[in-house]
Amino acid sequence: MSESAQLHELVISARGIPPDLKVADVADMFMDDSHGKLLSLPVLDGDKPVGLISRARMQQVLFRQYGRELYGKRPVTSIMNASPVVIESSTDLTEASKTVSERLQFPVTEDFIITQDGKYLGMGAVMHLLRAMDERLTKQAGELHTAYQQLKASQLQLIQSEKMASLGQMVAGVAHEINTPLGYVKNNMEMMEMFFETSRGLLQNCDTLVDALLSPLITEEELQRKLQGVANLKESLAADNADDLARLITDTHFGIDRISEIVMNLKNFSRLDRAMAADVDINECLDSALLLARNVLKNRDEVVRQYNQLPRIACMPSQINQVFLNLLTNAAQAIEDRGRILVRTEADAEWLRVTVQDTGKGIPADILPKIFDPFFTTKAVGQAPASGSPSATRSCSSTAATSASPPSPAKARASPYNCRSRPPRHCPWRKPHERESHSPVRG
Amino acid sequence: MSEKATLLFVDDEERVLRSLEVLFKSRFRVLSTTDGNEALDMVKRERVHVIVSDQRMPIMTGVDLLRRVREASPNTMRLLLTGYSDLEAIVNSVNEGEIFRYLSKPWSAKEILNTVTQAAEIAMSLEEAAGAEPLGPAPGVLVIDEDPTVAEMVKAICGPARPVKWSTDLDEAFELLAGSDIAIVVCDIRLRGRDISAAVKALKESNPTILTIVQTQLQDMEMLRSLINHGQIYRFLPKPARRGLLEMSLHAASRRHLSLLSAPSLANRYQVERNEEAPVAALSNRLLGYLDRMRQGKGF
Repeated sequence: MSESAQLHELVISARGIPPDLKVADVADMFMDDSHGKLLSLPVLDGDKPVGLISRARMQQVLFRQYGRELYGKRPVTSIMNASPVVIESSTDLTEASKTVSERLQFPVTEDFIITQDGKYLGMGAVMHLLRAMDERLTKQAGELHTAYQQLKASQLQLIQSEKMASLGQMVAGVAHEINTPLGYVKNNMEMMEMFFETSRGLLQNCDTLVDALLSPLITEEELQRKLQGVANLKESLAADNADDLARLITDTHFGIDRISEIVMNLKNFSRLDRAMAADVDINECLDSALLLARNVLKNRDEVVRQYNQLPRIACMPSQINQVFLNLLTNAAQAIEDRGRILVRTEADAEWLRVTVQDTGKGIPADILPKIFDPFFTTKAVGQAPASGSPSATRSCSSTAATSASPPSPAKARASPYNCRSRPPRHCPWRKPHERESHSPVRG
Repeated sequence: MSEKATLLFVDDEERVLRSLEVLFKSRFRVLSTTDGNEALDMVKRERVHVIVSDQRMPIMTGVDLLRRVREASPNTMRLLLTGYSDLEAIVNSVNEGEIFRYLSKPWSAKEILNTVTQAAEIAMSLEEAAGAEPLGPAPGVLVIDEDPTVAEMVKAICGPARPVKWSTDLDEAFELLAGSDIAIVVCDIRLRGRDISAAVKALKESNPTILTIVQTQLQDMEMLRSLINHGQIYRFLPKPARRGLLEMSLHAASRRHLSLLSAPSLANRYQVERNEEAPVAALSNRLLGYLDRMRQGKGF
């Protein structure tokens, strides 16, 4: 679809007026029905447009007292508009309508001249141009809508696959977190079992020894043998060292508690069944996310928590947790060797603010505008997904949050997430009403 | 064992160390640390027979540590004990760490006791074995792979000095193994649409001096774990084959082969775990016949 063809289609053919034609004759031409559609006629020197004369101008001149007598005999050039709007037929419709709207005056009393390579082609009416623009916009809006629908569909797909990828990573991490305590718990249990078996054997031997002692028929040799058996078992138990085992029991309890804690956090983390929850403690959410991110952060990075007292708010814990996990993962990945991650929370009357700051390499200025683009990542394809910020934005935009980025890569990277604690209507990040009066304490 | 062997456990979770210490301390001298650098110092300072390391640790990963231990003390038997499924780590544990076993968390106390005891016995037998690397005849290489480019690549690397045989049939390959002087096998895990890993494992079991370089597109954790524990493969390389990688592996295998020639007891190090999941019965009688011939001590 070529733009010039479109402007070309708007051409209304109209005979040009020679420059020396008298005003009275021009008036007659306007009376001619063949020009009924036009507000104005072109004045042409050969095929070169030199001006434009409109009905309105003619009326202005002729309706005056003695107008016809004064001007009738003068050439049209004396009253014409010597600088009419002239547009080349190859001009884009949008460009043409821009020129027209800039140059033509309100109310519209003139048309515009369309030329081809500077030579007169015909006239163009503003109404026609408007209609063409309208059709085009409608068509574009339709295309845009379709494109938007497609984009939305593929974005949903991408979000899903991104979620699956980070889910896979998280599952592997959690499996490792659980396998470690499970490892020593199982080992300890097996050792306790061995200890128990030996103890049971000892107890049985003791029983038979007592029986033997009480029996009048027992021989000295037999008694000696039984005594030796008990002594042997006692020795092997001593080697197992009851103190060690007591310690192992403590460790085992610790390990089981640890596994319970991980499982509980996992449940807290993805409360998919409860999309929207009132009374969410953001500090707890952060703790959950930190626990699950432990695998990424593990020992490499020191985590400093600066939690201030926060009002409980209504939000979607699963989404907000995902944001925190992504921020923490990004922070950990920004740190190349070892570093520190600061997690700070604070609240004032209106906002609740969460800051994740790392001592990593920062965000280079050239990619800063892009970090909230969907699926933006600095990772190579195939590496672990780290498109945290975009999904963070998505989640946050659905929880009425604003985010600011750090000023320079030289400085440590910080990702403050401001969430309204008393936002406008329809905001899922709303503080419950009964807590409106609560004034958050700053640390 | 007249003297107690020394074990070294490395894990960033102290409770794991405590648990293992109690399990082993009646039969072994047990050292432990949460710090990879300290572990390395211990290995350099004294004779450590077996090291069992976690993979994911701060400061140094398990594979990194085991690679350095291999350089500092080649006769220390290296085992990885990990709860994290990380394909890259396990591949590196073969190629860089040349580990004896890959153990998963949670583990069974009896199994780890058996495995570590076996490793310690092997390490004790290696005590006197390490000698100077002698010059010997270039060992033969057998390629078992349908892909002709692999055979061509191996031939190009080996040159005229080292005989290279190529087979795309398992029976034929084993006949070659039984009949000629083959020290290194380069193979895929799949041959003509069949999984031949049972044969690869059986080959190592019957002839521990043969060094196996597995090249495959398959990347499966469980398969690889089994190839380590039951097949003691020497290298695990990705496909399509890359010449540089293959060349390095072949050179390393030749050097290893020469040291095995000079001190045959070193081959103890490649003892495989008895494979109970996929019994050798899965192999054809013909293959078993070849394996018997090899076991009866032809070749080296």
